[in-house]
Amino acid sequence: MIFTIMDTAYIKSLPFLIEGLKITVSITIIGLFFGMIIGSLAGLGKLSKNKFIRGFWSVYVEVVRGTPILAQALFLYYGVSEDLIGLNITSFTAGVIAIAVNAGAYIAEIVRGAVYSIDKGQHEAGRSMGLTEKQTMRYIVWPQAFKRMIPPLGNQFIISLKDTSVFSVIVVHDVVFMAKEYYNTTFEIFETLVMVCLLYLCITIPTALYLNRLERKLDV
Amino acid sequence: MITVKNLHKSFGDLEVLKGIDATVEESEVVCVIGPSGSGKSTFLRCLNLLEDITAGEVIIDGAQLTDPTVNINEVRSQVGMVFQHFNLFPHRTVLENITLGPIKVKHLSEKEAKDVALPLLDKVGLSDKADDYPDSLSGGQKQRVAIARSLAMNPKVMLFDEPTSALDPELVGDVLEVMKDLAEEGMTMVVVTHEMGFAKEVGDRVLFMDEGVIMEEGDPLQIFDNPQNPRTQSFLSKIL
Ligand SMILES: Nc1ncnc2c1ncn2[C@@H]1O[C@H](COP(=O)(O)OP(=O)(O)OP(=O)(O)O)[C@@H](O)[C@H]1O
Ligand SMILES: [Mg+2]
Repeated sequence: MIFTIMDTAYIKSLPFLIEGLKITVSITIIGLFFGMIIGSLAGLGKLSKNKFIRGFWSVYVEVVRGTPILAQALFLYYGVSEDLIGLNITSFTAGVIAIAVNAGAYIAEIVRGAVYSIDKGQHEAGRSMGLTEKQTMRYIVWPQAFKRMIPPLGNQFIISLKDTSVFSVIVVHDVVFMAKEYYNTTFEIFETLVMVCLLYLCITIPTALYLNRLERKLDV
Repeated sequence: MITVKNLHKSFGDLEVLKGIDATVEESEVVCVIGPSGSGKSTFLRCLNLLEDITAGEVIIDGAQLTDPTVNINEVRSQVGMVFQHFNLFPHRTVLENITLGPIKVKHLSEKEAKDVALPLLDKVGLSDKADDYPDSLSGGQKQRVAIARSLAMNPKVMLFDEPTSALDPELVGDVLEVMKDLAEEGMTMVVVTHEMGFAKEVGDRVLFMDEGVIMEEGDPLQIFDNPQNPRTQSFLSKIL
């Protein structure tokens, strides 16, 4: 029987893979932190009355969403940092930047959609009592919009987590990279890859379940 | 208190206000009536620059709204606005709805703002709802909170855009009662409404708007019981 989880081939790979998983999760979380900042700026920028600001962020969103993340990572790591400016950033940093820039574009759409979905009477009520545009955004529109962003942001977390798997091409030591290293010496390819998938699912399934519940609770 | 001179407002090619002249004296209650699409809301919204003015002048308590040096937030803080759909902030409690403006615009402390808000809540008969969220209130209660929220800024003028037309009939009375009290205290009010009873009893003057102009204006009793303009006559015969 090949498929018993107690088979040592599965378990043996685990300590190795978990080292990779730490990197995978770190890149995702740090990357999304910056992605959230970029995405908020971009999302609000796309709603700006100023057409240059709007244009700038639209180009960013379209370029990122229209190109594969693999190409973006290669471009950032080899194209920009090594070739163009001759700067040697670590693979880890390149991975974080790639997630931030990539997720930023998707988060921009989440932010834009959520802010746009808030009834414009809310904005008018704020402005008509003398709040500035900024105060109205900060105290009235944003808190309501943010609630609506939580489910799609959770979804973006799952997507970005999986996206980091392509970073083995820029030598990020993530789960997939570690798996390849491991089975190249042990040749236990099937067992190792089963464990890789299980590790991803250990994060993605609980996250998805939690999001489902949260979505019902937030009633958005 | 309010002077409007030859006010024009267009949305693109659509001219909605075609030269409005009007004045509202201090402590006066002016009701605005007219068919749907005649520009009543637009007119009201021009009075606090929720719509920018295409041409003409609006002067509120000496401040020329089209003057680029006028601080519009300052003007708005003195002009309360009550909306048809209340526009309460659903993520804030009733009390927090009312204290937001005083805290952020007038820079009162939380305690000071609360001291302003609680008597107002009492005045609109909702002291027991201070810590509730708007979603748990009836339409009539929401609108009374919205009025209290505007009053918390201690405005010189209150604008009402069909404040009772989204309410169930049995809830209209409470809101009108609050508005009547306000009028009796000497608040300057501009009220878009189709509540004839309110206009007759509380209104000092009625403006009848049609197709972006004021077709007729005068004493409420005279306008409702003895309208001169044929447009006014046909409008009133439809809604009465
Ligand atoms: N933001 C806008 N953009 C374009 N057209 C608008 C806008 N707001 C209002 N209008 C148009 O202006 C006209 C007057 O609208 P307004 O809301 O002032 O009418 P109203 O008298 O308040 O009507 P109602 O009794 O239905 O509230 C309508 O034809 C409306 O479609
Ligand atoms: Mg209207």
